[in-house]
Amino acid sequence: MATELSEQELALADVRQRAVADLEQIGTTEDLEEWRTRYFGRERGEVSAILKGLGKLPPEQRKAVGQAANALKAELEGLMEARGQELRAAERLAALDRERLDVTLPGRRAARGHIHPISQTIRDISRIFRLMGFQTLDGPEVETDYYNFQALNIPVDHPARDMQDTFWVVPGQILLRTQTSNNQIRIMEQVRPPVRAIVPGKVYRHEAIDASHEAMFHQVEGILVDETCTMSDLRGVVTRFAREMFGANRKVRFRPSYFPFTEPSAEFDIDCIVCDGKGCRVCKYSGWLEMGGSGMVDPRVLRGVGYDPTIYRGFAFGLGIERIAMLRYGIDEIRLFSGNDLRFLRQFT
Amino acid sequence: MLIPYTWLRSYVDSELSPDVLAERLTMAGLEVDRVVYGKANLATGELDTWDGIVTAEIVWLEPIKGSDHLNATRVTTGDGKELSVVCGAPNIRLHDRVPLATLGAKVGGITIAEKKKMGVLSQGMLCSPRELGLSDDHSGIYILPPDTPLGVPLAQIVGEPVIDLDIKAHRGDLFCVTGVAREVSAFTGKELHLPQTALREKGTAANKLMKLEVRDADLCPRYTARVVRGVKIGPSPQWLAERLILAGMRPINNVVDVTNYVMLELGQPLHAFDYDKVADHTIIVRRADPGETLTTLDSVTRQLTPEMLLITDPAGPNVIAGIFGGERVEVDDNTTNLILEAAHFKPTNVRRTSVTLGLRTESSGRFEKNPDIELTAIAIDRAAHLITELAGGEVARGRLDFYPEPVTPREIPFLPSQVEWLTGMTVTRNECIENLQGLGFGVRDGGEGADEALLVTVPTWRGDVEESADLVEEVARIAGFDRIPSTIPVGPLPEPLPDDWFAREDRIRDILVGAGLTEILTYSLTNRLTMAKLLRGADAGEELLLTAPVTGADERDTGNATNGAITTTAASTRALERRQIEAIAERLPAITLRNPLSTELDSLRLTLMSGLLNTIRENSKHEDTGLWLFELGRRYLPTPELADGTGGAQERRTLGIALAGPLAHTWLGDDRDADFYDLKGIAETLLDGLMVARYRFVPAQHPTFHPGRCARLEVAMISDEAAGQSAGATPAEVIWKTVAVLGEVHPEVADRFDLSERTYLLEMDLERLFSVVPEVVKHAAIPRYPAAQRDLAVLVAADAPAAEVSETIQAGGGALVRDVRLFDVYTGEGVPEGKKSLAFALTYQAPDRTLTDQEIEKTQAAILSALRQRFGAKLRG
Ligand SMILES: [Zn+2]
Repeated sequence: MATELSEQELALADVRQRAVADLEQIGTTEDLEEWRTRYFGRERGEVSAILKGLGKLPPEQRKAVGQAANALKAELEGLMEARGQELRAAERLAALDRERLDVTLPGRRAARGHIHPISQTIRDISRIFRLMGFQTLDGPEVETDYYNFQALNIPVDHPARDMQDTFWVVPGQILLRTQTSNNQIRIMEQVRPPVRAIVPGKVYRHEAIDASHEAMFHQVEGILVDETCTMSDLRGVVTRFAREMFGANRKVRFRPSYFPFTEPSAEFDIDCIVCDGKGCRVCKYSGWLEMGGSGMVDPRVLRGVGYDPTIYRGFAFGLGIERIAMLRYGIDEIRLFSGNDLRFLRQFT
Repeated sequence: MLIPYTWLRSYVDSELSPDVLAERLTMAGLEVDRVVYGKANLATGELDTWDGIVTAEIVWLEPIKGSDHLNATRVTTGDGKELSVVCGAPNIRLHDRVPLATLGAKVGGITIAEKKKMGVLSQGMLCSPRELGLSDDHSGIYILPPDTPLGVPLAQIVGEPVIDLDIKAHRGDLFCVTGVAREVSAFTGKELHLPQTALREKGTAANKLMKLEVRDADLCPRYTARVVRGVKIGPSPQWLAERLILAGMRPINNVVDVTNYVMLELGQPLHAFDYDKVADHTIIVRRADPGETLTTLDSVTRQLTPEMLLITDPAGPNVIAGIFGGERVEVDDNTTNLILEAAHFKPTNVRRTSVTLGLRTESSGRFEKNPDIELTAIAIDRAAHLITELAGGEVARGRLDFYPEPVTPREIPFLPSQVEWLTGMTVTRNECIENLQGLGFGVRDGGEGADEALLVTVPTWRGDVEESADLVEEVARIAGFDRIPSTIPVGPLPEPLPDDWFAREDRIRDILVGAGLTEILTYSLTNRLTMAKLLRGADAGEELLLTAPVTGADERDTGNATNGAITTTAASTRALERRQIEAIAERLPAITLRNPLSTELDSLRLTLMSGLLNTIRENSKHEDTGLWLFELGRRYLPTPELADGTGGAQERRTLGIALAGPLAHTWLGDDRDADFYDLKGIAETLLDGLMVARYRFVPAQHPTFHPGRCARLEVAMISDEAAGQSAGATPAEVIWKTVAVLGEVHPEVADRFDLSERTYLLEMDLERLFSVVPEVVKHAAIPRYPAAQRDLAVLVAADAPAAEVSETIQAGGGALVRDVRLFDVYTGEGVPEGKKSLAFALTYQAPDRTLTDQEIEKTQAAILSALRQRFGAKLRG
């Protein structure tokens, strides 16, 4: 009798065949749910019905059919799970596909403005000198003759005044500062050594305005006074500055010069950043670019602020900020800085 | 200062080429602008530099068909390119090297341009010796030697090098060829040969032939004169004329040329008078009399003042001392007897007179740089010697020499170790001595060893050297600054200082740039009219634009000038408006320059607003998106000290903001023009970013702004103890301080600035603001007990300020209300006419417990009652 299939076993085989065939036709998760109800629904599911009918079978058949029915149930459930996973993945994919964006459309940008290139340059200069212990300070632009000239060893009738044509508010007494060097005196009057500071700011010259001259422009003055510094420290500081600002391995050249308030005085040049010192239009074919003036603070200036020049040594330097910005950004027209044309300003950070 | 190279080398045996010499001079502190090449042209008295004329080689040559003499050539300057040049000269051959005038060069007054001759393109011109001014030869092109390099300026082949030096004013001794030669001698170690000054005197003593009277010795500390008789005026020899031309001076005649030559050679300006024209043969040096005039050699009659020094004779003035001569006693072709003058005038006085008269000469430029007072005797002997050599005649015996107070050379004790102390460069004692001696310093070494100071005698021509530091520079620059090492300072750092304005302004910059604003930087110089255009018929106030004209909301501006405009024409309104602006401009307290560049830039700004509006207008011409701008800068207010000339201005650090138009155009369609709340939002973002604890906006009236769209920004001044407590202090305990004004620019003001869009402006006084910005923010604990949210929508009068309603809620709710946020303003359906609905989200929280519903309901009721009392508010259903 063992080879004889029972009616229930035949029914199970039939259910299996249909259930598997149906499952293959299913295209959505909703249809899959319907399929589940048809075969496994508690009330009318065909597999459930067979399982429910087990009790009516003779005990010797009950065990075999029960095992077969449960095996079928497990098999179909496994197939259903797999099919369900496939369908859900396909449906998720379809849903995501409907949300497809044109990622090439412009983004919704957060508003972002621009820092003026002069401010940016001052910021960078300040950062570089801060690394060497210099504080960034400021000072007055409407200044007395004393701080702008006399205390800097430039008495009335000194020829150096010719080179700094001055705007006067009260002739001979009050002027618009022609250099940020006025702050050397103001700082030294306020504190005792050690002094390490830079002072960026506006300066004014009574000069006709053209592509390379402005009546108002920016300088930065630096000063260091203590008991140990020498001109070699000055050289080290400006060399570090030049390399931070214009790139590693920049060469710095010191040239003797003259400023009434430093002794010895030096101008410093860097090898041309355009041609690397080979000679070009920007460096007037010399291979060098003038960067600024500097020197050891003149003993007369030190005595003037009550520092003993046999104990204290100091150096000072001055840089033109427009010139640095022009070299850095390749600008050949100084008036762009005060022109405030947005087409210019938007090109910067 | 032009120093002809060969002339320079006649005093020092330097073998250095012009370029190397120029480099060495620069590195010794004598900055060389450039090396010029040129040839003295005796016919014109000028230096020919042949700009644009270069050497070239003929690489192709063919007669032009149909022409009896023209050749088509192709030439190259060695750069790989060829130019087509038509040439009519018979002497040219293939591969000849020739001078090529390139396009734009000038030959004989003609500018070379591209043209066609007989249908052949000509892109330059080959030149003959006559065309180049080299000789009269015009028979053919100037053929250069076959080894001439190509593409080199002709001047470098046939001209002489001249070193153009930029000498600083303190080195009066370097404005001459021997002065520069001394420097070359010092840094090369080659011997210096100074010119011959020995001379033979003859006949009557000079002081029998002329008289000298110096009345104003303070302005003329030395006056040296000689008499030379029997000279014959004529042209100078070629060598002298050429040297003068190379040095930039024009030859005149042998006597005048010698005085100029000696000035260029030694640095001492000289003057030659016609002995027979000088009244009574008497030279009187004196100040000008009031009202005195002198007609100078340029035929200009000069008005003189008693501050000016003159060289006169009993008949009147002859020369403005050290500056310029007059006509009456000048040397002319018939002159036979001379008085030579070599004097020393007070440099500052020469400078002042020269500035006053607007007269700058070779002579005045040297006198004002304090030449060596000892030089007069040497120079006058040198000149007398050269005159007798070149113009004949004999030198009368003796000099007249007014020199009441001869100078004694300065002596400075000098420790060689000072060089290292100041420069960090190591130099030996011997090197110090050699470098100083090379420059003409006397050095006495006691030989006591390294610790002993040298005694250095400063030569009289080095008035700039006053103390040890100056000697350090001399030693170091001759040794070479490239020997200075490069080190990083190791000294102690200074203590940090308070009030770091640089950091403060940088924070503001970052916040505003993050909010989409772009920084501008305008001139601090402006003019009063521009600033007055900001003020609409209002009192400009005594102090500053920012605060003075700002009045409370209740003091409405009633005197509006344009009310009468209905009955007048537009033109007369404009004229009236113009007069009103001018009247305001006059009363502005702006600091005005005494010597402005132009009336456009004659005053320091009192406000940043006009600069911002001008920038908006200029950019709106080409920008189609909005302009959101800011500037950080100073306003300059007058002070009593400034008026006295004893002190500066009040320079107030200020922030200005201007907005117009949409921040950006996007495809998302959310463009929106800037409005008041954008501006206010930026101000709020800024204050929040700066951690300003409490601030408020109060309706205000200001002559620049729309009367209904202007506010004053106030910040709460909180004492140190109050700052430690929670923000729940009642408003009565707080002092409110105005820090800014903001609003929409009044349409009339906008018209005056030609603004096409509604523009919003803010000006903030940063010095006031930073008095309330905390240096350090103290953290508060995160609340441990839960917060509860309640909404509250109330109906109030349409003109009730929302901020006051909000404050009332906060005050009515007390400490339990942690936050009040307005989330809706509504008028329309469901809201009665004349009312508006304001909806607030309230956050309740206590630091020490969870609040009960009962507590919250009780507080809501208290708030409502306060609102009812203050605003007649009703709860909205
Ligand atoms: Zn270069």
